[in-house]
Formats: sequence, structure tokens, C-alpha cells
Amino acid sequence: MEGTPVRIGAAPPYGHVIVNERWRGSAIVQGFQGKLKAIFEEGLGLVDFHLSDHSCVLYVSESGLVAGNGYRRKLVQFRKASKLDGIIVVEKTRLSEQYFPDVQKFVVFELGLTLLPVASQSEASQLIAQLVHDESKEESRNPFLRKKGAKLSEPVVLALQIPGVGRVKALALLRHFPSIYQLSNATAQQLEAVVGAATAQSVRGFFHTSLAPPR
Amino acid sequence: SRPPLSQPVCILADSRGIAGGPEVLSCLRLRHGVTTQVCSLGACDFIVSNRMAVERQTLSEISSSVNRGRLAERVRALQGSFDRVCLIVEKDRTKPGEVSRVFQRSRYYDSTLAALIRAGTRLLFSSGPEDTAALLAELARVEQRKSNAIAVPTEVKGQRHQTLQFYLTLPGVSYITALNMCHRFSSVWHLVNSAVEELAAGACVSRPRAEEIFRCLRYAFHPDLLPHRPAGG
Repeated sequence: MEGTPVRIGAAPPYGHVIVNERWRGSAIVQGFQGKLKAIFEEGLGLVDFHLSDHSCVLYVSESGLVAGNGYRRKLVQFRKASKLDGIIVVEKTRLSEQYFPDVQKFVVFELGLTLLPVASQSEASQLIAQLVHDESKEESRNPFLRKKGAKLSEPVVLALQIPGVGRVKALALLRHFPSIYQLSNATAQQLEAVVGAATAQSVRGFFHTSLAPPR
Repeated sequence: SRPPLSQPVCILADSRGIAGGPEVLSCLRLRHGVTTQVCSLGACDFIVSNRMAVERQTLSEISSSVNRGRLAERVRALQGSFDRVCLIVEKDRTKPGEVSRVFQRSRYYDSTLAALIRAGTRLLFSSGPEDTAALLAELARVEQRKSNAIAVPTEVKGQRHQTLQFYLTLPGVSYITALNMCHRFSSVWHLVNSAVEELAAGACVSRPRAEEIFRCLRYAFHPDLLPHRPAGG
């Protein structure tokens, strides 16, 4: 491979995908019709498709998989050359599926890249279109992404886990010792003044019983 | 050159999940030499390290829109208490004599994969329970090489059980984090009075997670913020 292995900073406009010149006329590109506009470019090096400014697809064909380790060299070279999020799309067919576990182990465990199997070029076409579509969506619309902003665990909820402490006693205790930190540092006498001797002992016991030999 | 494996790796499995996959557990034990402990994890199917949860889904589950709400809720919950979340997509089993159905790949399935990747979930594909066990064992070993292996006793007895429940009530605390807390702090008082650094090291969590726990333990109760209950109720 001549020149740079990866071109940094390739950013397709909305609804477009930057395609390596070698895929012109392929079934994958034909499958984009009506969903995605392809921009063909030379000099993309190892990358087959640029989805956005930070993510790209490298394609491993059935024959590439069956032929042996050529694709590995390519993927290692990509990993070393860039920090782009690489999605490796691999043709998993009846002929190549026996090689799939090894590819997965190599790509995911050793290189830490994403691997997605497809059965054919037309499936790859659908998948790439979907990946591009998803890139342009707002993060807030992703159902799998947790909304930021910590939820608070009320001290009451925590105090209820202490043996002998129900809702009434938890509220009484927290009126005097508002946080779990303060409650843990209350003396037996201070606790007794609020909840009585038995519960006071139970609370002290909960915080101070030795659990593990300190290391 | 990998460092020699001094200890066998340990994996926690959810007690509810065993009905769905006893082969996975026996395969982990017998073929891969993994120590397994069945616990009530609730939120996930497997915990393979101090920071990684693994959810197992069949191909038909993940490609059906009926399940999306539940799957999304589960993945979000996992991200709330684990730094790494991994999803194993397993091929559906076929009964003896049954012809395996051809998987019809849908746009819906592709959009689910795309959204999962964008949410930072790691995806693995498995051809069946044995393959799933091999993937779990490999994940646990990779995590061990990165010094995140589960390294505390996984059985909880007596006094520790109550303490475990208390720790599990803290925000962002997973079952393995609570176990680490039980075994690495000499008392609940010790944990509650620890500095952020000490919390992070003892509970084996990231600094932001330790900060969240620290804040929660010092968060002051305001009686006025409680929802009003009807008088005499």
C-alpha cells in the first residue's frame, strides 16, 4: 500500500458516505440507491467507507477471510495508523463461518474494534446505510444511552437497610443526623435519645461490626 | 508474551438466567476452568470483572421490536452501574430434527445494532451456548490481564448479607462493587468515613463513581422534601 494508510479528517456531508474508489460499481454501492449518496475518492488507504468524521468501515470479504491472514495485517496497520472508530464488517457465509470465531477474537479482544457480520454485500449495504443514518441522529434519541445527571439515593432509603430501623425510626434518626455520614458517627447516647436503647445498639452494631480483616 | 495466569478467573451468573442456559455455566466450569458463582444479580446475566457486565440475548430477541423497550431499559440500567457493557447476540437454538430457520435481517435489526454501538456497548456474536461460554471466558481473561479480575470471595454469609443490601442501595453500585466493599472495608463505618480515593481503590471503581457514592453518603436529608402523606394515613 502506497502513501498514508488512513486519511484523517474525511467528513462526509449529511446523507452521504465517502467511498473508496475501488468499490465503484459494486453491489454495496448499488444498494445505497435511494438511501445514501456515495462520494468516491482515491487515497483513502485501508478504509473502505467513511461514515462520519470519526467513524469508518473496513470490509473483509468472504474470500479475504478464507484466504488467510492478509486481512489481519491490514487491520493491525489501521489500528496503528488512526484513532478512528473502526467498524469491521465481515462476510459471514456458509463457506467462511468456520473462520468467524477467530476473526471475532482478533478484532474485538486483541484490537478492541467493533465487528459486525453480514451474509452478503447487499446486507452490508443496508447496514452501512443504517450506520450512517444513526450517526446523524441526535444522541438524545438513542434509546440505549443513559441520560446524564445522577439520581440521588435518599438517606431514608439507605437508613431503611439498617436492621431494626423502619420508616418511622429512619425519619426520626435523620431529623437529628441528616446524612448517613453523620448517622454513622453518632454516639450511643445521642442515638438513645432519639430511638431508645435497643435500636441505638442495632444502629451502632451495623456501622461498627468488623467485616473483614483490614488490609 | 502474556503474563502467566496465576489464578483461575471468576464469573458471577444471575440466578434467574440459569434456567435459560445451564450449558453455558457447565461449559464455563468444565471446559474453560472458570470459577462460577450464581447470585441474584438482577440487572444483568453475567459479571466478568470488577467493571464489566455481559447481557446475553438471542438473535430473535434482539431483532424483534416487541422487546426493544425492555432491552433499552436493561442496557441503560447496566450503564448506570458498570463502566463496560457487553452484549452477546446468540443464534437461536433449534430442536433436534427442526430445520434451522433462515435469519431474515431487517432494517430494524440493523438500527438496533447501530444504536447499541453508538451507546458504547460492545457486541459479540455467538453460534450457541458453548460459543457463548468461550466468549465469556475470554472476556474474563482479557479483564484479568488488565487487572480488573474479580478477586474477592463471592459467597456472602451472615452479617455481610445485610451490609451487602445496604451497599447495593447506593447509586451506581453493582453487585461486584458491593461485594468488593464488603470484603475490603473493615466496617460500614470505615467505608462511610473514607475519602474519595480510598473509596475508589477499595471498591475498585472509577473516580467519578467513587465521587457519586461519597456525595450520596454525605447528602443531607430534608424532611420538607418528602412527599406529603395524608394525615392519619
